[in-house]
Amino acid sequence: MNNVNIRDSVRRTEDIRFVSGQGTYIDDMNADGQLVGMFVRSPHAHAAINGFDKTDALALDGVVEVITGADWAKLGFGFIPSNSAVKENTDGTPIAVPERSCLAATRVRFVGEPVAMVIAETLDAAREARDLVEVDYAPLDAVTHPVKALEPGAPQLHNGVDGNLCVHWELGDGDATEAELEASDHVVALELHNNRVTAAPIEPRGTLAIPDMETGVTTIYQSTQNIHALRAAIAKILRLENDQLRHVAPDVGGGFGGKNSLYPEPVVTVYAARNLGRPVKWVNDRSESFLSDTHGRSQYTTVELGLDADGTFRALRTTTIGELGAYCGTVGAFTPTGGSARTQGGVYAFKAMHYRARAGFTNTAPLDPYRGAGRPEGSFQIERIVEKAARDLGFDPIELRRQNIMPKASLPLKTAMGLDVDCGDFLTVFEKTLAMSERAGFAARAAKSEENNKLRGFAIAPYLECTGGMPKEHAIVTFSKNGAAHLAVGSHSTGMGHETALCQILSAELGLDMDHISFTQADTDATPLGGGHGGSRGMELGGNAVRQTADEIVAVGKQIAAYQFECEVGMVDFEDGSFFQPGSNNTMSVGEAVSASFNPDALPDDLAPGCMNIGSTFERGVISIPNGCHAAEVEVDPDTGVIDVIGFWIVDDFGTIINPLLADGQVMGGVGQGLGQAILEQAVYDGDSGQLVTGTFLDYAMPRADDMPHMTLDYYEGSPTEKNPLGVKGAGEAGCCGAPPAIVNAVLDALKDHGVTHIEMPMTPEAVWRSIHLT
Amino acid sequence: MYEFNFNRPASIADALTAIADADDGQFMAGGQTMIPVLKQRLAMPSDVVELANIDDLKGIAVDGGTVTIGAMTPHSEVHNSLEVADAIPALADLAGMIGDPHVRNRGTIGGSVANNDPAADYPAAVVGLGATVVTDRREIAGDDFFVDLFETALVEGELITAVRFPLPDKAAYMKFPNPASRYAIVGVFVSQSNGDVRVAVTGAGPCVFREVAMETALAADFSADAVAGISVSGDDFNNDIHASAEYRAHLVTVMAKRAVIKAG
Repeated sequence: MNNVNIRDSVRRTEDIRFVSGQGTYIDDMNADGQLVGMFVRSPHAHAAINGFDKTDALALDGVVEVITGADWAKLGFGFIPSNSAVKENTDGTPIAVPERSCLAATRVRFVGEPVAMVIAETLDAAREARDLVEVDYAPLDAVTHPVKALEPGAPQLHNGVDGNLCVHWELGDGDATEAELEASDHVVALELHNNRVTAAPIEPRGTLAIPDMETGVTTIYQSTQNIHALRAAIAKILRLENDQLRHVAPDVGGGFGGKNSLYPEPVVTVYAARNLGRPVKWVNDRSESFLSDTHGRSQYTTVELGLDADGTFRALRTTTIGELGAYCGTVGAFTPTGGSARTQGGVYAFKAMHYRARAGFTNTAPLDPYRGAGRPEGSFQIERIVEKAARDLGFDPIELRRQNIMPKASLPLKTAMGLDVDCGDFLTVFEKTLAMSERAGFAARAAKSEENNKLRGFAIAPYLECTGGMPKEHAIVTFSKNGAAHLAVGSHSTGMGHETALCQILSAELGLDMDHISFTQADTDATPLGGGHGGSRGMELGGNAVRQTADEIVAVGKQIAAYQFECEVGMVDFEDGSFFQPGSNNTMSVGEAVSASFNPDALPDDLAPGCMNIGSTFERGVISIPNGCHAAEVEVDPDTGVIDVIGFWIVDDFGTIINPLLADGQVMGGVGQGLGQAILEQAVYDGDSGQLVTGTFLDYAMPRADDMPHMTLDYYEGSPTEKNPLGVKGAGEAGCCGAPPAIVNAVLDALKDHGVTHIEMPMTPEAVWRSIHLT
Repeated sequence: MYEFNFNRPASIADALTAIADADDGQFMAGGQTMIPVLKQRLAMPSDVVELANIDDLKGIAVDGGTVTIGAMTPHSEVHNSLEVADAIPALADLAGMIGDPHVRNRGTIGGSVANNDPAADYPAAVVGLGATVVTDRREIAGDDFFVDLFETALVEGELITAVRFPLPDKAAYMKFPNPASRYAIVGVFVSQSNGDVRVAVTGAGPCVFREVAMETALAADFSADAVAGISVSGDDFNNDIHASAEYRAHLVTVMAKRAVIKAG
């Protein structure tokens, strides 16, 4: 018997499969008669295409088809959609969403943009043919820097898009913020760069499309985060009905936002399979991943903070330039606008806030959500300006924060950015983090560092977050007569452990043995709707859908029990997997109820056999507010600039913790990506040629195990949310919201006696060394 | 990769014949650089002559005055060898800093020095210890072996069979790894043998080189202070997104200082 409860650290049931090589990834899958597809990609950052010649490629043995951008244009299909929640500029005009074809026909706008697909009997033939497709390019000037792209005279990417500007947008009260800044005793300003990064999931993107010529249905196996939405988008582009496509994501080796978008390659792969009547498989290699996956972050920002003489915050103004890349991605303009604006100001109280953003097009891979999608940018902006204010004005950074954190008594409230903060105890979380972080011993540790010619620093960084993603989720439970349950959900784990956590919720709610619950996710045949993965929505949407389904199962079970007990339904209670009638000896286990649910004789007239098989759609009312606090202790080698992150302490308020072990994994992984962004990672394009300089792991510095600090984690559950029945707040993206400011500010604390007040991310050894020795 | 003929000879003689018979043959000695190059279609050899089956190219031998390492000995074997650790601990230490465990299990000393990557670690040991590169036809002094960026004294078809290291009185290697690739941004190997001091620098320039000013200073006074004040010109140094030439020049002094301290 393996009965579990909420808050149990149930070990991940999927891991046996993953660590023993039994996972199913796209590259592992093969279908009878399968063809191999590969994409011809632009070697130019910006060029006109004068023509294609596929003669030599088609003549090669084993090559079945070559689809060029020109061919694609003749087919008359739709364009790649962008569904930004921000659709209008400040002045009410629509944002610019240039058309993006799945295969470029007349112009390419970034290195790696697909211009043709070759389909062959073998991978070798496809690769050979890829090199034989001739594309006549006429190179154009390129611009890869988001600020330069918006300057007069910059190379223009899209006809009809003046000055490469996609969106200009603002949120908050500009006049009130200006007035508050005017009235402030101090205004501290800081220019910041939020570095451009790429998710680099361990499994590259890929698709296997298998057409069934009898039914007309094509099954799409894809390494993606979001099958229901993508199926609809692919169907729309290819002018199909949704039910002509079945979309399945098998095991997915990481997404982090980078597999959220609709990309061109799967669309063309599906078309090719349907057109040729044979399965077609395409899998990116690592170089293609670097070139063609969406990138994240990339903002150039000015932050201004107005304070009273005693340190009380009055107003915050953020002026930012974001970047879309060559085209609008699926979420597109939202990330540098609404996505970054919502959580401005973090956990601090302000009289007024104002956020202004412009974002434009550059000759680079499109940018779209990357873990956090704007909130880490916002968190970095506020925590850096608060630290700067403390340093410039002589406040203790800890005390200045403590003084300005929104008091619990002020909640619920709507922030000046319109965010509905229903609950939280930010000061308690802050104090708990501080207490955990061994401050008492810091002076001694710093002295020891100094003896070794090292500099020690500490910083604390509270963060305020919010969830996001699709607002509806569906769960279906189907029982077998023997009592085993099958759970299908529309939410989607790309490695996070939902197979464990969602089954755990069902097990806990129904008192079912975990071992008797099987699981399906990410299959359009398994659930009628689903919101996939994104916005820390797994437990908030998927978890609550399971919980709601379980509640509905219990309600039916009570009817069955009441029929057998010969009592009113209202007299039946349910607890620990048993239906019972208080004050009597009448009991019925869930298993017995399931068994009865298949027996017409055991059911009241209004219930049909199979009545405990229930699917239910949960709909979120208002997004939740995860929050927490990170603290970091670092040691800097002033001779080399090397940063060693020595200690890391975290207290998170994610509401109810379904499974602490899984939550820990989410937090640690997020910190890994936050640390990566803070000190290691950056996607670099050459300013002249527009080539991606960091096109391999030799140049793109991913964090490794030995870069990671020991982390001490705790959770605060003293401030439950009523926004959803489980009381969960979302855990997936918090780690990379808190880690960058905590680490960067800790390094600056270590360097404070050297007059260093700012270093851009990533804080590479050379950047740190230069700041010490050459400023 | 493009098509090529694949040979796996079991003797040095057969390997030399295979390479001589090929239109455009290449030896493969671990393949840690070559395989990625082939996969990227950046090379198109007619024949690949893989050396892993040749027993005469493997193994470690220590006699009174030298450590001889067969060309096809993987880094992990050098790193884990108690004999090497006893005779030249700095060499075992260096081998353990190369790449990651997978690379160390496949990559070989012969492959590393023949490739002469400007950021490879072994060239620093070969020059820093005054080692001798032994080939199928001659012996080449370490000082003469590394010619320029990816260029060595080897002639076409010449096969490294072993590298022979003299035992120093003391030696140490300090490496500043590239955070992404873990190759050396700067690596400095120092040694002292009978008053003769060598300081070999890898990673900083297009090819491993000796830092003569530091050698002179250390010969007079083998201490960190002796090199602390010696700044190196970065004029011909590598300059990339990870480290400027100026920073590399600075790191040469820092790593040299630390290597001297480590050497004891």
